[in-house]
Amino acid sequence: MSKSKEEFMKALSEAVVEYDEDACRELSREVLDNPDTLTPYEAVMNGLAAGMEEVGRLYDTQEYFVPEVLMCADALYAGLDILRPHIPKADAEVKAQVVIGSIQGDVHDIGKNLVKMMFDVAGWGVHDLGRDVPLEQFVEKQLDTNSEVVAMSAMMTTTMLGMKKVIAMIKEKNPECLIMLGGAPVTKDIANLFGADGYADSAGNAVSEGIKMIGRLREFQAGKK
Amino acid sequence: MAELTSKERIQKFFKKEPIDTMPVFSGMGTVVIQAVNEMGVKFAQVHTTAELLAGSAIKSSEMCGLDAVVIPYDMATVAQAVGRGLTLYENSPDILYPTVPNKWETLEAVDIPTDFMKRARMPMVDEAFKILLKDGRFAVGAWQLGPFTLAGQIIELGLLLKGAKKNKEAVEAFLTKMTDIVIESIKHYESLGVDFLNIREMGSGTDLLSPKMWNQLIQPNLTRIFSALKTPAVLHICGSTDLIVPMMNQCGADALSFDQKNTITKTRTAVGNDVIVLGNFDPYGTMVQMENPADVETVVKKCIDDGVDAVWPGCDLWPDVKMDNIKAWVNTTREYGRKPSPAIKRL
Repeated sequence: MSKSKEEFMKALSEAVVEYDEDACRELSREVLDNPDTLTPYEAVMNGLAAGMEEVGRLYDTQEYFVPEVLMCADALYAGLDILRPHIPKADAEVKAQVVIGSIQGDVHDIGKNLVKMMFDVAGWGVHDLGRDVPLEQFVEKQLDTNSEVVAMSAMMTTTMLGMKKVIAMIKEKNPECLIMLGGAPVTKDIANLFGADGYADSAGNAVSEGIKMIGRLREFQAGKK
Repeated sequence: MAELTSKERIQKFFKKEPIDTMPVFSGMGTVVIQAVNEMGVKFAQVHTTAELLAGSAIKSSEMCGLDAVVIPYDMATVAQAVGRGLTLYENSPDILYPTVPNKWETLEAVDIPTDFMKRARMPMVDEAFKILLKDGRFAVGAWQLGPFTLAGQIIELGLLLKGAKKNKEAVEAFLTKMTDIVIESIKHYESLGVDFLNIREMGSGTDLLSPKMWNQLIQPNLTRIFSALKTPAVLHICGSTDLIVPMMNQCGADALSFDQKNTITKTRTAVGNDVIVLGNFDPYGTMVQMENPADVETVVKKCIDDGVDAVWPGCDLWPDVKMDNIKAWVNTTREYGRKPSPAIKRL
């Protein structure tokens, strides 16, 4: 007997939490075979993304650590890759675009990739510049794409100062653009000092904050429907 | 009170013998841009020749009034020597440390040359150590990344983290190989005659790994490293460490170093008064950001009151320090540190 909508969402959520990539793929294909039960969009937002919210809770309570979160992210992407091409444009309407990257001098990108996932799930247009990104590339990409958000990460004290320059360059050309900073050495004071609009103070908090943001977006989308 | 030389003070410190006052030093980079500027070179250049590397270390410690010199400054020496390349950022107007541009994409692809200690900048670093030791005024410190952090320099960290759960045996074997590299390089620095060593297993705090995983993957390798060393050796870990302090203390290091995320008062209670504890001010927030040296004094006194035996920065000093803040760190430590610390008595 085929699953109900609730059963699908619960199973997808659990597959993410249990970092079961195969189950995520299988369930996602099943969702596509049962278009009358739930839409791919519902499966992403209330199944996969809901699972990632639970992962965030487990991370906050120190039941999960970064290795588990990374595997959950892989499971989420396994489902997302199957479901996303089938989400109608009206549902997938891109609300905003983000330019994201690790700043020049920094070759760490775990936190950046997890935040990128958050934007991916939420259906944003994501322009990932990778790592060790020269400062001016952030500015150029933001101007080219007119992205609403620029998200930069630095895992080292020794690289975060470049962020200040990028913020100044972007804000000069486009004061409306929102800047998110992340990475271990970035504190709230530093984010304020640099003129950023938001921050996450560690790779861990990037996970936690990013996942909470998914929750807020889900609430926002639910309220809109 | 007998006055000790910088070198004597640190040598006695690590032997847990009485000293005149708290030494001021670090086991991580203490190069300051004022020294580099006075030498008339760019920051990118100091990582490239023995004379500039040693010269900038000596000049920095002279200008700041520190008791030790520590080299190298960047984390890419071994990764470069095993063939992963080097980005020096020579054309950047900013202070950027060299990084590794290419990482191996699978564990199977990793191919470590047996003569890595003779490749790339490794011989240059050796020469720089010889210059520092010949100078003789300062205690000389050498450091190496811990096996897990070194692994993250040469393969994708995500691969390692996920592999630790999915492919445990292969990751353990790989970390054993990394441990061999760490031992070979750090024992080589020991053979040159340095005064102390620091193993920086920076990426292994509980921001990333669970205490259980730390116990299984990190602790056995660190224990093997410290058991191979005769020179006083520090174990330094950045980030969240409160949950792993007892395990860190079981690895056999002569001293433990923490950054500002550690709760030193709890750590001191956990390890007792016989263990040398180092830490734990925020190097950027304190030496660069603070506008008033009196605030630095407060931070330094708090570290001492919390129970450290020497006031160390939590990471490399950010080179663009305020010299008045450095002086506040040095002078406050010397004065306020005249009283005994938990593990070290005074003359």
